[in-house]
Amino acid sequence: MNRLKAIAEGQPIESVYHDEVLAREAVLTIKDFNLYYGRKQALYNISMPIARGMVTALVGPSGCGKSTLLRSVNRMNDLIDSVSIEGDMLLGNESIFASGVDVIQLRKRMGMVFQKPNPFPMSIFENVVYPLRIDGERDKTRLMQVCEHSLRGAALWDEVKDRLHESGLSLSGGQQQRLCIARAIASDPEVLLLDEPCSALDPIATSKIEDLIEKLKGDYSILIVTHNMQQASRISDHTAFMYLGRLVELGVTSSIFTRPKLKETEDYITGRFG
Amino acid sequence: MTRAIPERRKTSSLKAQGEPMIWLTGGMFAIACSMILGLLALVLYQGLSTLWPRPYSMYSTLGNELVGGELQGNNEYVLSGQTLEDLDSNTRSRAEKLLDGASEIRSRRLYLRTGNFELTNRHFTFLPTVALSTDKPVQPKSIWLLERREWGNLYGFPKSLSWTEANESNIADLVQKAMHDAEQLNRKIEAEKHKLERIDRAISNARLDVRRAELAEKVELQAALDQATAEAMAGNASGSVVAIEELPALQGLSTPATRAIVGLIRKTLDSEPQLISINEQIAKLEEERRGRSVVMQTPVMDNIGTADIPPDQWFPAGSEKTIGDKAGAALPQAILDAMGSSDAIHQIFKTVSLGPQQWLVSAQHDSKPPVYFWAVQENGASTSVYGMREQPVLVADIVRLIQPNQLSWLGRCGVYTSRWLEFLFGQPREAGVEGGFFPAIWGTIVMTLVMSLAVMPFGVLAALYMREYASSGWLLSLIRISINNLAGVPSIVYGVFGLAFFCYTIGGYIDGGPAKAGFEPWPSTVWFSAFAGLAVTGLVAFGVSILSGPRDRREGTGRSILGAVAGLLWIATLVGMVILLAKIPFFSGFYQAQLPNPTFGKGCLLWAACTLALLTLPVVIVATEEALAAVPNSLREGSYACGAGKWQTIQRIVLPYARPGIITGFILAMARGAGEVAPMMLVGAIPLATELPLDLDFPFLHGSRSFMHLGFQIYSLGFQSQNSEAAKPMVFTATLLLLVLVTLLNLTAIWLRASLRKRFQTSQF
Repeated sequence: MNRLKAIAEGQPIESVYHDEVLAREAVLTIKDFNLYYGRKQALYNISMPIARGMVTALVGPSGCGKSTLLRSVNRMNDLIDSVSIEGDMLLGNESIFASGVDVIQLRKRMGMVFQKPNPFPMSIFENVVYPLRIDGERDKTRLMQVCEHSLRGAALWDEVKDRLHESGLSLSGGQQQRLCIARAIASDPEVLLLDEPCSALDPIATSKIEDLIEKLKGDYSILIVTHNMQQASRISDHTAFMYLGRLVELGVTSSIFTRPKLKETEDYITGRFG
Repeated sequence: MTRAIPERRKTSSLKAQGEPMIWLTGGMFAIACSMILGLLALVLYQGLSTLWPRPYSMYSTLGNELVGGELQGNNEYVLSGQTLEDLDSNTRSRAEKLLDGASEIRSRRLYLRTGNFELTNRHFTFLPTVALSTDKPVQPKSIWLLERREWGNLYGFPKSLSWTEANESNIADLVQKAMHDAEQLNRKIEAEKHKLERIDRAISNARLDVRRAELAEKVELQAALDQATAEAMAGNASGSVVAIEELPALQGLSTPATRAIVGLIRKTLDSEPQLISINEQIAKLEEERRGRSVVMQTPVMDNIGTADIPPDQWFPAGSEKTIGDKAGAALPQAILDAMGSSDAIHQIFKTVSLGPQQWLVSAQHDSKPPVYFWAVQENGASTSVYGMREQPVLVADIVRLIQPNQLSWLGRCGVYTSRWLEFLFGQPREAGVEGGFFPAIWGTIVMTLVMSLAVMPFGVLAALYMREYASSGWLLSLIRISINNLAGVPSIVYGVFGLAFFCYTIGGYIDGGPAKAGFEPWPSTVWFSAFAGLAVTGLVAFGVSILSGPRDRREGTGRSILGAVAGLLWIATLVGMVILLAKIPFFSGFYQAQLPNPTFGKGCLLWAACTLALLTLPVVIVATEEALAAVPNSLREGSYACGAGKWQTIQRIVLPYARPGIITGFILAMARGAGEVAPMMLVGAIPLATELPLDLDFPFLHGSRSFMHLGFQIYSLGFQSQNSEAAKPMVFTATLLLLVLVTLLNLTAIWLRASLRKRFQTSQF
């Protein structure tokens, strides 16, 4: 029976994993994760490793829970009152959801970039060093160092180095998104969470961001949600296909896109479904 | 299957075109605009024209009266048979002719500012046009308008000066110069009176010390004080140096009591010579002040005699009427007497015919200021001669000397400016009807600022909690609705509440402890056991809230019951604390010694500001909440994702972003508060305050003083003063000022919002 149909009918399915993915060292391990919005379940028994130093793309039709999963990793869903969860995630070997975990410290170990660029209403400089500011860092030279390092990391330095004290809102959309990436890597996180970072950008800005992701991988483990199949195939090492809150297949990108183990994945990726 | 296709109409319907709706909405808009503009125009015109100096005109009536005044305007009124009875016979016959059998017709009357209140008992008068004997009034060039410290305006002709000889050309200069000197004199008297006040204050402070010692030791000191004072006086009188500490009356008293009494007696004895010399000085200055006055001839007429022939025949035919010669002239004896000289050769006369049988006569001796007479020929027979009543005016009482009929346009502007400056920066005269509004303006500003300081933290913090921390639910919605409804509570209710709660309860508590505020204090054993109980409750509340802790996602919502218990316990602790404070037996107020005179237990600046803060709280909360809601959630998420805590996010992202909106709401609240009158009447505004709420005396801001308020001033001048008619122009001017103040506040809000918004929201894409 078609797995997607089974999922739509509410039956549990077995996720399919490629061995190459399981063989990698995981920076983040998701274990039997369930998430509920009130009574409504949004994620079902998700288990997957996120490989260290690689780009993992989450793909799937709208409403399949990609963003929810991503936002669970740094516990952004805590902000929504009705959310409750089961299962756990491990960052390295430490639980993310155990009671007594300091959420603030946890979030500092992950950087997150959102769908729409959201620079703060302050100068470019202050935007980048914001994670350090909230830690009470006052040392000007260190702040400057981090600012330059992050902006270089986000490939924005050359464009803004002469106007660091102008408002972050004065940049173009693509620049704003790279500014947000610079901000996300300023606290030197282990994992970068990108939630459809290019969906609000034009093709040129998109390609710049993609180049940037290419450059950042290795230094950071990246988990990216995207709707754009080409983008996923271009930039990711691993791809996870999700459907209606369940993980269907997780594998190396090249094989997912050329010879997936499941026909359903192939159908989705080639556009015959979804 | 066939379907009937409805025939398409050639033209679209009236409804579709919407033409009538354009007319309806446009018409309503026009009506709304014209109402607002009408109000603005009225206030602007009345407010701006009040201080403009107008020429002085004199009208003669058929009743043989001479009425003078500044023409303020004219209006229509109903002339009916009944109103005729008030008129004299000549006027009545003319009015009857006009009526021509009808019961009433509409006629016009002039509205004149006559001044000279002490002579006529009125500041203004209405003059029906039907009573005028001539349409053209006389505008005497030499008329003076004296604005005085007391009694309002005086209009008249200068006659002589009490301290020196003057002639027609230099009398104004002499008075101006004397006014300048008198100003110094007035200032000196003020300074002396200020010294007196300071001494008085010192003595009453010393008396308060005695009262405090009395309260602290629970003894009667009045007898000892009287006796000691008597002994000290006796000792002083006999010339021997008295050591007050060793007076027999003070033996046996405790040290603090003795010290207080000694302090008071010493202060009294020490300041006595000073008081005497200051009073002498004041008496001297007052004497000097009374020394210079101007004798004015006012257009209030007294009959001084009769003449056999009318003025137009007083001079022989052919000779100039302006120069009288005793030889040829037939001047009535009354006038010669009044001029104080039988030698009429040097007298120069002018007559102006004001009606068929009415003349204004001026007589001048050499170059002395002219003397005026009013001659009326009654029924073609004898001529009555009237002289103007004289009224001396102290030079030191004159604030401004204006010659309204000699002013050029520029001169009028000068007077106008000087009056406005006095209005804005001067002290009130005549119980606020004249002079400056400075204390009212200052009081309004200070009160509004204090109110802002009070409302700002409350409103913003409460809104922050509601928007950022509280989880949404029916309780929050209920509270939000209640706050919005609070904005609709009539402001007088706030006034009543402020009076009862702030002034009498809190103020009374500060003044004289729980007993004064109406609470029976508990015995100390009861109080201490209650205190212990409360401490336990507080500790338990603390413990429970720690236990209930931050909610854990995996445990569901099982612990929220603990949270509710903690909340209830905290509320109980808070209520208990208030009750304990109200029932404390060891506190009897900070101002017990001043009682029964209240210090804070009455309407005053502090409570007025608190009441208004309560009144504007909904405005601030609603505006702040809206501003917070307008902060994009993506910014909050971005901040949390960077590892910022809730408060860090609020402080660094949310508040700066919401600042324009918060400030706007805040300034709107200020504008609302500044214009509010009803609660002010109850909680601290008074029509005339001698002291400012914020001045240069330590501690500068005097929360316990009553103050003047522009809005309240409008009410009390317009409807409560003895002389509302005279105050009416000032009411409009004060309204204009208040409007300008509020408009300025609103403009600041708009400008601030625009400039801050520009800073935060430049081009997105």
